Amino acid sequence: MDLNDKIEKILEKVQKAPRYTGGEMNTAVKAWDECPLHFGFCFPDTYEVGMSHLGLKILYGLINRESWSLCERFFMPWTDMTALMEEEQVPLLSMESRRPLNAFDVVGFTLQYEMSFSNILAMLKMGGIPLEGKDRGEDDPIVVAGGPCAFNPEPLADFIDAFMIGDGEDVMTELNRVILERKEKGLSRETCLKNLAKLEGVYVPSLYDVAYNPDGTVASVTPNCPEALATVKKRVVVDLNSTYYPEEFPVPYTEVIFDRIMLEIMRGCTRGCRFCQAGILYRPVRERSMEKLIDLAEKLQQSTGYEEISLSSLSSGDYSCLPELIRELMKRMKEKRVSISLPSLRIDSVLKESLEETQQVRKTSLTFAPEAGTQRMRDVINKGVTEADLLEKVRDAFEGGWSSVKLYFMSGLPTETTEDLDGIADLARKVIAEYFNVPKTQRAKGLRVTVSVSVFVPKPFTPFQWAPQDTLETIIGKQEHLKQVLNIKGVTFHWHEPYVSYMEACFARGDRRIGAVLKRAWEKGCILDGWNETFRYDLWMEAFRECGLDPAFYANRERAEDEILPWDHIDSGVTKAFLWREKLKSERAETTKDCRKGCNGCGIQRWKGVCAYANAGSV
Amino acid sequence: MRMLAVFEKGERIRHIGHLDIQRSVQRGLRRSGLPVAYSNGFNPHILITFASALSTGACGKREIMDVTMAEEVSTDEFLERMNKAMPPEMQLSEAIAVDQKHPALMAMLQAAEYDLLIRDPVQAEKLTAAIPAMMAKETIPAMRKTKTALKECDIKPLIYGLKGEGQHIYATLVLTEREACKPGMLIGALSAEAGISGEEIRTLITRTALLGRDGQGNLVPLERL
Repeated sequence: MDLNDKIEKILEKVQKAPRYTGGEMNTAVKAWDECPLHFGFCFPDTYEVGMSHLGLKILYGLINRESWSLCERFFMPWTDMTALMEEEQVPLLSMESRRPLNAFDVVGFTLQYEMSFSNILAMLKMGGIPLEGKDRGEDDPIVVAGGPCAFNPEPLADFIDAFMIGDGEDVMTELNRVILERKEKGLSRETCLKNLAKLEGVYVPSLYDVAYNPDGTVASVTPNCPEALATVKKRVVVDLNSTYYPEEFPVPYTEVIFDRIMLEIMRGCTRGCRFCQAGILYRPVRERSMEKLIDLAEKLQQSTGYEEISLSSLSSGDYSCLPELIRELMKRMKEKRVSISLPSLRIDSVLKESLEETQQVRKTSLTFAPEAGTQRMRDVINKGVTEADLLEKVRDAFEGGWSSVKLYFMSGLPTETTEDLDGIADLARKVIAEYFNVPKTQRAKGLRVTVSVSVFVPKPFTPFQWAPQDTLETIIGKQEHLKQVLNIKGVTFHWHEPYVSYMEACFARGDRRIGAVLKRAWEKGCILDGWNETFRYDLWMEAFRECGLDPAFYANRERAEDEILPWDHIDSGVTKAFLWREKLKSERAETTKDCRKGCNGCGIQRWKGVCAYANAGSV
Repeated sequence: MRMLAVFEKGERIRHIGHLDIQRSVQRGLRRSGLPVAYSNGFNPHILITFASALSTGACGKREIMDVTMAEEVSTDEFLERMNKAMPPEMQLSEAIAVDQKHPALMAMLQAAEYDLLIRDPVQAEKLTAAIPAMMAKETIPAMRKTKTALKECDIKPLIYGLKGEGQHIYATLVLTEREACKPGMLIGALSAEAGISGEEIRTLITRTALLGRDGQGNLVPLERL
């Protein structure tokens, strides 16, 4: 039976076949033989998750735009598909031309969250590529990775040949050129990796040796060849207006999670919330101009036919001319019946005016993220939002005709007490009271308040990178308490599985040794760990035990100021000294001002001309 | 004015369900920039209907959409702009302009023609050989899937035409708003007749035409009425 027959047979049996069939509008099918460089873009989760990801759309468009390179997509198949593929001996195939992963010159993974790591191993295996870099031969692809989790590359150091740190737009093309050179000149794998290490923002883990102290902490990370720099600086795209942004997106047939136009209005955030890793990694804040955004919105509307545009950024409410942008987009999109939605609203920056304009087209539920239940706790995490702010915005929303509100919180933050947990319930009650304060004739029916409490996971490159995560016992106790206090009429309470957050904490701050646990867990059958139905905590625990490593060492241990952290040789632009200062301030519940009100000296000011708010004179 | 447009659902996308096909056509219309009419109300949608939902897993050669236009558009322009806006597996082959009073396609639909490719040649031969015997029967029992159960029914009056040729079985089957013989029911009955009902019969189903009745009662393509 030939490959296509096998695929047809599998597709007849599998659940949700449309996630595997491809052929979507605006997917590039470039002639294989006419492009010398073949890039396999791997999203290590399901199609529905991957096709919702903006980074995929940017890099897919960027690579396919070059005449000399083509990019095809790969996703993690669901378990039923994996079993059928194994049975029929079908390898992992691209969505476009149905070629196996190992037929590509470069294989690139995007690392969005730690719990997708086992999928990387599964995809490499199904794609016929040796799992570990040291076992790859001259005919095997170069395996690269980028995205937020690449900032602590160490847990994946055994499996990924090169990491791209920071913004991907510029480094992507440079990296592809180096790999094309390998192919054209027949350079060895080793030479190619050393050439990659010369690129700014590229980290090649095999060029570094790691030594450990007897207590398990890192003693040193040392380059083992001249090409490897002692620290790898992240890449920064300085001007978002001149950098590449796609004018068309692939449009899936089947519904995906974010099935709409995503317009990235800015990158970075000036707020400095102390739990937030993205807030550090994507510094400095950079805006796209209104003219550019309107031009992109019109082109994307024409090329996709989508009925909704969402403005995307870490903190859209901070965009400097948000009301003007929204007004102009609404004016131009009204005739085309395109609605504009504002995700990740920050409660202190949404103008009432904008709220009213959003409502003009479609009324969805509003999301607010106070993150913590008391002012003290919000000061600890530097979430510069007061209860009065929140309640005012909620009142505006209820008066504007909304009746559905989502509130996001975290539990397990450093210094958290029972009082802080009770504060979450108090806030929910006050939100309900605001609704009933609006006269019955003026408010929409059907009040719905959803309170979602996630488990705090300390992340590298944040002021909490030294902090212990609550133990499972503590987390479960807190969740029980929350269940009781949030048993309020009109409130729906959601919480996250603590076991997943525990594993996430291990890998977020893992070192190179934890890669062995990942491999062992995958061998035992761990895949799709981001999904409740497939996550196997018991197997992860077995893997830790068999590798002789203690998860508590990674998740629940307080680090000392002078400890060498496994990611210290990666330079995010923000200094360790600044993060430590922020940690000390958090312990005193002392806040730090928004960068736009004056430079706080986070470190990015060392890089000239990168940050609009930098003051070179600051410490 | 309304535009009846004949389109294909290609083999690669045959597993896409009807709702997703509908949404893809709507997005295609939005990409085309053609002056389509929208519903009033809170969530405006394009005024469009489809002659018949095509099952997940089946291909379609001449599926029909019925789009209400806000302004007059020539059929040539409609076709040209839509074919630029639709993916390769969903191209249009014909457009016919009709006026607002033209009856609804769904109400006119009487039958459909199918091309059933039996993947296994041995099975195909057995099934084809069983056609005359099955058709000679007074009643042809088949199993109809309802939401909750399997029900036995007689499909004899629902088969307008049936022949085998190589690995293909060509069938004309009743398809109305009230009753229908699905290709799977036919294959089930035929495999029982051929004595192979225990076997899995892999079939590639292609609906090749949607039919209505003209003034003389003859079955003709729906878009010609």
